[in-house]
Amino acid sequence: MRKLHVFMTGALLLLCSMVFAQKTVTGKVTDTKDGSAMPGVSVKVRGSNVGTSTGNDGTYTILLPKGVNSLVFSYIGYDEQEIDVKGNTAFIALGQATNSLNEVVVTGYGQTKSREITGSISKVKGADVMNMPVPNLTQALQGRTAGVFVESQNGKVGDGIKVRIRGAASISGGNAPLYVVDGVPIVGSLYGSSTADINFNDVESFDILKDASAAAIYGSRASNGVVIITTKRGKAGKTRFNVNAQYGWNEPTNESRGFLNAKEYLDYFYTAADNTAKYHYNRGGNWRGYPSQAAAQTDMKTWIEGRFDRYSGFRPFRGGKDWRPALAGNALVDNDWASQAYQDANVSLIEVSAQGGNDKTKFYISGSTNKQDGILVANGFQRMGGRINLDNEVNNWLKVGVNLALTKTTRNRVPDDNAFSTPMQIVALAPITPTRDSLGVLFNTPVTTYYNPLIDAEQATQKVVAFRNQGKIFADARIFRGLNLHTELGLDLTNQNEDRYWGPRTLAGGGGLNGVARSQWYRSTRWVTNNYLNYLNTFGEKHKIDATVGMSFENLYDEYNYVEGQTFADESFRNLDNVATITDGSGNKTEDNLVSYFARLNYVFDAKILVSLSARIDGSSRFGANNKYGTFPAASVGYILTEEKFMQGIKWLSYLKPRVSYGITGNNAIGLYQARGTYSSSIYANNPGLAISNFEKAGLKWETTAQYDLGLDFGFLNNKITGEIDYYNKKTSDLLFSRPVTGISGTTSLLGNIGEVENKGIEFTINTVNVATKNFRWTTSLNISRNRNKVLKIDGEQQEILSQDARYANALVVGKPIGVFYGVKYAGADPNNGDPLFYKEDGKTTTSNYDEAYNKFEIGDPNPDWFAGVNNTVSWKGLEFSFLFQGVFGNQVQDGAGGFMSASGDWFDNQTRDQLNSWKKVGDITQVPEARINRFGDFASPSISSRYVYDASYVRLKNVTLAYTVPAKVMTRLKLSSARFYVTGVNLLTFTDYPGWDPEVNTDYRAGNINQGSDFYAAPQIKSLVFGLTLGF
Amino acid sequence: MKKIFGYIIAAGILGATSCEKRLDLTDPQAIDATQAFSTDTKVKQVLVGAYAATGGAALFGGDVLWMSELQASDGELNWVGTFPDPRMIWGKSMLTNNSNAYATWARAYSVIYTLNNVLANLGTVVTADKARVEGEAKFLRGLVHFELVKFYSEKPYAAGSTTTLRGIPIVITPRPADPLSTENQLPRNTVEEVYAQIIKDLTDAQTLLPNRNSIYANKPAASLALARVYLQQGKYAEAREAANACITVATANSFSLVSTFAGAFNNGANTTEDLFSMQVNTQTGTNSCFTFFSTTTYGARDGDIEITDKHMAKYVTGDLRRNLFFFEAGAFRCGKWRDQFKNVKVMRLAEAYLTRAECNARLGTSVGDSPENDLHRTRSRAGLARLLAPTLAQILAERELEIAFEGQGAPDAKRLKQTINGLAFDNAKLAFPIPQREMQTNPKLTQNPGYN
Repeated sequence: MRKLHVFMTGALLLLCSMVFAQKTVTGKVTDTKDGSAMPGVSVKVRGSNVGTSTGNDGTYTILLPKGVNSLVFSYIGYDEQEIDVKGNTAFIALGQATNSLNEVVVTGYGQTKSREITGSISKVKGADVMNMPVPNLTQALQGRTAGVFVESQNGKVGDGIKVRIRGAASISGGNAPLYVVDGVPIVGSLYGSSTADINFNDVESFDILKDASAAAIYGSRASNGVVIITTKRGKAGKTRFNVNAQYGWNEPTNESRGFLNAKEYLDYFYTAADNTAKYHYNRGGNWRGYPSQAAAQTDMKTWIEGRFDRYSGFRPFRGGKDWRPALAGNALVDNDWASQAYQDANVSLIEVSAQGGNDKTKFYISGSTNKQDGILVANGFQRMGGRINLDNEVNNWLKVGVNLALTKTTRNRVPDDNAFSTPMQIVALAPITPTRDSLGVLFNTPVTTYYNPLIDAEQATQKVVAFRNQGKIFADARIFRGLNLHTELGLDLTNQNEDRYWGPRTLAGGGGLNGVARSQWYRSTRWVTNNYLNYLNTFGEKHKIDATVGMSFENLYDEYNYVEGQTFADESFRNLDNVATITDGSGNKTEDNLVSYFARLNYVFDAKILVSLSARIDGSSRFGANNKYGTFPAASVGYILTEEKFMQGIKWLSYLKPRVSYGITGNNAIGLYQARGTYSSSIYANNPGLAISNFEKAGLKWETTAQYDLGLDFGFLNNKITGEIDYYNKKTSDLLFSRPVTGISGTTSLLGNIGEVENKGIEFTINTVNVATKNFRWTTSLNISRNRNKVLKIDGEQQEILSQDARYANALVVGKPIGVFYGVKYAGADPNNGDPLFYKEDGKTTTSNYDEAYNKFEIGDPNPDWFAGVNNTVSWKGLEFSFLFQGVFGNQVQDGAGGFMSASGDWFDNQTRDQLNSWKKVGDITQVPEARINRFGDFASPSISSRYVYDASYVRLKNVTLAYTVPAKVMTRLKLSSARFYVTGVNLLTFTDYPGWDPEVNTDYRAGNINQGSDFYAAPQIKSLVFGLTLGF
Repeated sequence: MKKIFGYIIAAGILGATSCEKRLDLTDPQAIDATQAFSTDTKVKQVLVGAYAATGGAALFGGDVLWMSELQASDGELNWVGTFPDPRMIWGKSMLTNNSNAYATWARAYSVIYTLNNVLANLGTVVTADKARVEGEAKFLRGLVHFELVKFYSEKPYAAGSTTTLRGIPIVITPRPADPLSTENQLPRNTVEEVYAQIIKDLTDAQTLLPNRNSIYANKPAASLALARVYLQQGKYAEAREAANACITVATANSFSLVSTFAGAFNNGANTTEDLFSMQVNTQTGTNSCFTFFSTTTYGARDGDIEITDKHMAKYVTGDLRRNLFFFEAGAFRCGKWRDQFKNVKVMRLAEAYLTRAECNARLGTSVGDSPENDLHRTRSRAGLARLLAPTLAQILAERELEIAFEGQGAPDAKRLKQTINGLAFDNAKLAFPIPQREMQTNPKLTQNPGYN
């Protein structure tokens, strides 16, 4: 701001302005960069709705009311400027944004200037993530701000993404933030994150409310933070069109983790079979009754060769190839199954937008189509949509507007990671098995070890189409000076349809069913009305008041229907119209109401002392009879020390604002109707029956989070270096937890408000302008976050709830983070006999009996110690180069599939190459036990232990963009206003020691609050490279 | 205009605040628990719900049948599927976190919970139906306790010392409304106590139930259930009486053996031979025996259970029962569970004849009919010649083949004190562990020997 040149040529003409009731001010706005006129700059009278915008020549005229003499000039991407008009003219030059202090921050039912914020709010500009080739806006936010952790479950396009703001505050409820688009909270969907329905190129800004003081205005839904999404609005001036096109490629970040080839596979299982014979005869009790060890070995050899015959399709199936030549290294079939899970994948985007308008009416319209193929066969995502945002100033006190977005999202989904039919499970198949028989038909069991997922790719579809209508109508009325009423009626409506089909050869549609089809229909409607009064005024010179009071009501209504049928005449029919039998169907409805009252007071004293108080009362239909209403207050103060005289001598320090906040927020993200004891339908042989469906929990209520935040905002060297540090402590009590109860009670678990969990953390952000000359500019933004999660109380009795799953160790342990891996610690292979060894409680002695091992070692933690992002932008004339590195550190991942694919040959799954290092002779020191195939079930197959826990820290080149903007001179000749060519990449490089496909993983079929950090045939993440062009005219 | 706008806003806000009443929402798909036993119809519907729960996979929807067969396998079948939990049941190397063991325990007590509520609300049932409703509930309660005690008691009844041997907690009263109540933390009753309770329930059921009762529990089924219990106890006279009562009532009420052996299986509706079976159709019910015994060709998994030559060799040439096995995916498969969406057979009349024959032979009597005649009913259907004066061993061999892989494997092996995989019939490895999660939530429980 201080860099700006302010032309005050009108100053000499100053007369006593107090004489006039109002005065006319004229002037012109120019760009500091080249002195060119700036059309479309918003010119507003401070503290009111009175405003205009500059014309094509950059000039404006505005009426300044009595008693006010400040004008605010703002333009996207430029520093906002506020000037005191001393005469009748004001010429001003705007410079491109140098720091964020003057940015407007959207706070929920209002907005504030960044410098007056006392809470912790991160802002990401839409422009920063625009054109990133990812389907979901949450993916675009990954690595960009402190305290916001984003993790894609796997590389399935458009599917589940975990977002955690300041850690997980809930065990059983939702941990996702509340997303609010232009004042309307968004609804859910059948699958995945519904945020994928939003075209984020339409987004002006993401304001992420992190601490209680910022978020408490959203009351019972604010514990996990709030992401406020504000879409673009038109600016007065010539209508400007923007055409944007991109095309590119998607690939896996890591195609293969390495599996045995045909020869290795055969050799390995020959050995495993022989070892099994010896084990069974000598140590397994020989219940099979072999007369001698040699007889056992012969039988096992015959048996395993029979299996090889079967898996090679050699006999008696047509088209198989003899596996024997592979033993000599001349494999007739050496199938790299893993590579067949993928497809060639493209990304494309075409988008047109226009904005403009006049003093009275402004518009922003856009339309786009975006297609993203998944890397997995048959996986894809497509989004088409349009938006109209319209504002009209009816007169000098009333402004009305409408937002309307319509999108169609099409997903071609693939089954969950635990399904035999999911593409990645193909890696389990034997390398001696050919893909197709001599007729070109895909081999299936019994030739393939398991179901061949390629059959699903050929014969099954899962298409989910969502139509989403998001919008609102609103009015802003000035009641008297400083007092405005805002009222809006918003709607978020999703109509989602899923059509599934399984052909006659598939797992689900086979077995004589001759095809199965299923259709699901889901509609979610959220009506919301927000009505609030805002009073903004400055008393005297020094007391600025910004007060808001209002109410809101929301109704959420979900409807769901489902029909399934089977038996088609043949494969040419795929719809339910053509099934012979309708086999299943259902339909249900749910409703949820929320009535809220809220108030907020922001007080600024002398532009340096900032106080904010807020409260919300939420009444929710979700909770028990005794707890319908909850109150969520918050308070915060900030002190801009650099405004004080005594600080102004310090040249290098340009900005310093300590702040502190405290508040209470809630989390109501539990199922509906949980408080009541209910009986629901239970059908037996088509006869109606009743069964208990819910045990009564009359006291059920929201979870309560008390959070304090200590923050420091700073700016050095004329704000060339700015940043903020926050320390927070979030303590959540009345945690909803489904505690296990003895089955004798009639149920196995019971939800109650019992637990406590704590999240403490540090966030650090620093933005620097490293170089800023006329032609060259280099800026850096770094954010580092640490969150430590700790369970303080489960139900007051149990200190630990261990995993009940033989493949995973996620536990809930008092004093430890949610989902910590508690389980058996692996001690490697017994050097004497190759048995797997596990530690006993003393941590020294070992046992080969898994059940005898101590099962409460802390063997890992899925929660990272740190995560960070660093973004650099370098621009030189028209060239711009930016790159974002993002990293996650100190977390572990457990491979639930390890017991299958890294199991020293426990069964016929193809093994990862590290299993070649199995124990072979007495004295061998190795982590891999002796290769044995568990034919007789006389030893325990591998269960979860630290054997399958790996460090999953990583650093990733999340986003890199190289862009060239054609110089204005050239553009004028082409009759265009701008042209930008760019190439952008996502996830181009990953650095990690994780031995699996990708360290960013949490297998979809079990992902939850406790179940974190699990891998199970999860697809690697998507790596994209796209070329694009943006034209403006 | 300002006025009009003001009115609109005021009306809007008023309208919205009046919505406060709407905070009291109920689930449109459910009724309040306090209403569940309010009428005769509802009590009966809860009983129907109990059948649905009993027919869940974890109980008579199949698991208790195939788990029994896996446990009893002395090389007659192979588990080749990928699921480690069933494999460990088959290998007699279970862990306390075995998911099947937990699922069955939890489902069993959930069914018992419902049945106790039904029995407590008999007063609401119209007089004409009271006996039937009580009989059905007691039948199911007895049956479910019986499954529990067979799987989870530390040793089978045949091991003796039944008054000190730890069984399972008996639950015959409605549970407190609050599942957390310590009243639910019940200790294990002795095996003797559990058997006494089962006999009491089944005897009552035998008295109360009608002779025929559509797809629901009937008198002959209660009698056969009693016969199974007495066999476990080695009380052959009582078992004989129960089996004879079953046959007498059944045959007098048009139950009979199906004319062909194959015809007795893969049925979507009860046959004349089915005394009790869990109903399965495309929309409701599950049959997990189908899931694991059958193959992908018929819509099941990959053929997780293979029948070995050791079993196949037990059939003499010409035994039509052998023909029901089908060879697929490299092994023989049990054809009794071949097809999808077919009922789970829990009790067939054929078993009653075999039980009566065995008991008569053991006791040297001919109550009802001679062992020779009883045996011939199933043998002749299997295309075999009459066995004159069959020995006990021959009767048991006939029993094994006739009801093979229908869930009586483990109880028969244990009462007959057979060795399995070299383990004595009462070896600790042949008892299920008390599920880990139950041990953690009920301090009154003690674990079985051999499990930590």
